[in-house]
This record gives sequence, C-alpha cells and structure tokens, in this order.
Amino acid sequence: MKKYWWKILGIILLIYSIIMGLLGHVPALPIVHETIRNVYFHVPMWFTMFTLYIVSVVYSIKYLSSANPQHDFVAVESVNVGIIFCIFGLLSGMLWANFTWGAPWPNDPKLNGSAIATLMYLAYLVLRNALEEEQKRARISAIYNIFAFPIMIALMYILPKTTDSLHPGAGGNSGFGQFDLDGSMKAVLYPASLGWILIGIWLMTLRFRIRKLEYQNHTATL
Amino acid sequence: MSLFKEVKSLIRKDIVLEWRSKYAINGIVLYVVSTVFVCYQAFKSVDPTTWNALFWIILLFASVNAINKSFVQESRSRQFYYYTIASAKAIILSKIVYNMLMMLLLSSIAYLVYSIIFSTPLGDPILYLIAVSLGGIGFAAVFTMVSAISAKAGNNSTLMAILSFPIIIPLLLVLIKVSKNAMDGLERSISYDELTVLAAINILTVAISLLLFPYLWRD
Amino acid sequence: MKKTILFLLLVINGLMCSFAQSNTGVEMATGLRSSGKIYVVVAVLVVLFLGLAVYLFTIDRKLARLEKQQKR
Repeated sequence: MKKYWWKILGIILLIYSIIMGLLGHVPALPIVHETIRNVYFHVPMWFTMFTLYIVSVVYSIKYLSSANPQHDFVAVESVNVGIIFCIFGLLSGMLWANFTWGAPWPNDPKLNGSAIATLMYLAYLVLRNALEEEQKRARISAIYNIFAFPIMIALMYILPKTTDSLHPGAGGNSGFGQFDLDGSMKAVLYPASLGWILIGIWLMTLRFRIRKLEYQNHTATL
Repeated sequence: MSLFKEVKSLIRKDIVLEWRSKYAINGIVLYVVSTVFVCYQAFKSVDPTTWNALFWIILLFASVNAINKSFVQESRSRQFYYYTIASAKAIILSKIVYNMLMMLLLSSIAYLVYSIIFSTPLGDPILYLIAVSLGGIGFAAVFTMVSAISAKAGNNSTLMAILSFPIIIPLLLVLIKVSKNAMDGLERSISYDELTVLAAINILTVAISLLLFPYLWRD
Repeated sequence: MKKTILFLLLVINGLMCSFAQSNTGVEMATGLRSSGKIYVVVAVLVVLFLGLAVYLFTIDRKLARLEKQQKR
C-alpha cells in the first residue's frame, strides 16, 4: 500500500495556513495594511517552484549518470509543475503589486528575473519537443537543464541583492523580520511553505506516474 | 600536460582553418559594420542610454551569428576523427578559447567602428573597454556550449536563439550596468561588485561546460 | 503636469498617513473581524480547499488502480 501520510500532512498544513493566515495577528503596516497576509500565499509559490526546479536538476544529474528513463520523467514533470507554480507566483504578485506598488509590473529585478527564468524553462520544453529520439532527447535536455540552473540562481537570488528592489530583503530594504517581532508571521509562513512544497511534489508524482503508464503502454504495444 | 598540448594544437587548427577562408570573420565584420551604419542612418543622434543598449544588442546578435557555426561547419566524419584522437574536454576547451579570442577581436572592431561612426562622449573609456572585452569573453563562454547543444539537436538557428537568450540576459544586464557606469564616468570602485559577478559567471559557465560536454560528445 | 499630479498625490498621501497615525495608527480591516463575518470567508476557503484535496486523492487512487492493472 502506498504511503499517504505526507500528502495528508501537506493538506493539514495548508488548512492551518488558510485559517491562521486570515485570522492570525499581523503587524499593522502602512501601505500594505491587511494585504500583508498575501505573504502566506504568494511567497510559498516561489519556494515550491524553487524546490521543484532543484528536484529537476538533481534528477537530470542522476539521468546523466544512470541513463534510466524514469529519472528523465521526474526531471521533466518537475519542470512542468514548477512552471505552473511560477505562473501562480507571478500572477498573485502582479495582483498584489497593483494595489500596493501602483502597477502590475513595476520595474523590479525580482519580477524581471523570474520572468526570464520562466523563459529559460519554456526553452527547455521547446528543446525537448525539437528532439525526436527518446534517449537523445533525455540526455541533451538534461545537459541544458544543468547548464541553465546556476544561471537561474544568479538571476533570481544574486542579482536582485545588488540592485535596488521593491521586495523586502533586497537592495537595502529590510526584511520582514523587522516588523514581525513576536514571530507570529513566521509561525504561519513556514508551515504554509512546507505545505505548498508537499502539494507541489504530490502533483509532480501524479504527473510522473501518468507519464510512466503512458511510456509502459507505448513500449508494450511496440 | 597532454590536455594543454591537445588544446593548443586544436586552437591552432581552428585559427589556420579560419585564416585560409576568412569567411566567418569577414562576414561578421561586414555584419557589424552594416548594422552600425543602418542604426546610424536611422537614429542620427541618440542619448547615451540608447547608445549603450544599441551597442550591446548589435554585439549580441553578431556573437550569436559568429558562434552559431562553431560546431556545424565541420563535417560529421571529421568530427568523428577528432573523437578518436582528442579528449572531449580538450575539444570544448579549445572551442571556448578560440571563440573567446574571436569575440575579443570582434568586439574591439565593433567598439572601434561604433565609436567612430556614432561618437558619444565616454566618461571612462578604459573601464568601458574592459566591460566590452569581459562581455565578449562571457558571450563566447555561454554561446559555445549552447551552440554545441543546438548542433546536437539538429542545428536550426531558431533553437539556438531560444536556448541562448534567456541564459545570456543576466550577463547582459550586468554588462549594461557596468558600461553605463563607465559612460557616466562614475568612480571605479562602484563597478567592482559587477565586475566580480561577471568574472564569476564566466568561470562558472566554463567549468560547467567542461563537466557537461563529455556527455554531449559521446554519441 | 504629470509631476504636479504626482506631487499633489504625495502631499495628500502624506497628510492621510500622518492623520491616520495620529489617531489610531494604521487602519486595518477591524470591522470585518469584530462583526464575525471573517469566519464565513475562512470557512468558504477551507471548504473549497478540502474539495480540491479530495479530488486530488481520487485522482491518486485511480492512478494506483491503473498501475496495479498494468502490472498484471
């Protein structure tokens, strides 16, 4: 029998984050007001996306050393689900920015960086479509994935630190820790992030299993 | 030691091949000059920010066109021959170094032509030149590996553009910032951070290319 | 023109901020909370999310069944 405990844990954590995220105590800040609660729902999207991309690159490395097609399936499905979470993060961030920063797309290095990272992973999917032969496709796309990953890290985590940004914790702005004196926000944000990461991995495994079934069917009919 | 020797002879082979035909370098120089001239005709005079951005865009497209061919110009049988006599690491290293040399030449020609036709006061020409040469080296490092990937994937130039542009953008952003600092003649210590990031990205890309290319090459 | 509008907005914003801070600090949605209506919103969100979770579980079970069939 499959183990379901971590899926249930993810759901419980998310229900906790919905209840405590809306009812819990938040610091009173100018401009953002109650929208500060978006932190509990917007930030976990990025954590989940990032976790999935790490899973993808790890399995790409594994594929290069093992040539096992299942590792390739995990890598591509992680990217697929990661792109969905990236789009969610961008959309929720645009909505929030529209109300607090005055425009859906302020010229912010983190926004531009994540948009470009999306392009990078879309390019990865285009590369997969351009290759016909299965083994060759798996190997070349794994190589591109590993090659692009450190540049994505530089893009999203190192460059915004050196330039001015509207996001907290970048370019001289203070992080959220300064306002969150009693740690009540951390007590919601971290469980929420873990919950979303678990759900993201669950979605990835679902897609992975579908792809594996398709592959087995395909090889059985041949 | 033998790796070093292999790299040296492979680079010499590339240079000799290029010197005999002079096809690639002439074509690219012509491309740069005509693009600069078209831009000059279209804009006549521009403000410094546009000048800077235009220069990097011209250089970007020139380098994509130049490096795109580095793995497809040689026939399959000849590549097979290299496979038997040289290690994969030596081949990618020689290609990267050769492309870096070519990009250094190309970017200095582009800079010369651009600043003669399209003269704009520069605050700190030496820093600008450093930024241009670092940029050329960075373009070469990234595009060599991507061109190897796209050559394996049936080498169409659209794929090369799709694969390389998202990767090159972070480099380009840093480069535009440094060169803007140089144009405005700001204190050099302001740009040290960016120069370190540039050097770090270059070293990182070369290291990853060295690690990954053997997997790409065995076929 | 644009600059004057921006300046005016800034002044108004500053006035409002200082006014708000002199009275009760930053304004939060206390009305929704004190009337107890916020619990409705929370309940709706929890129900929606639970529904989605159950749906995910059914997909998971269905896949497990297909995998078992495949093995036979």
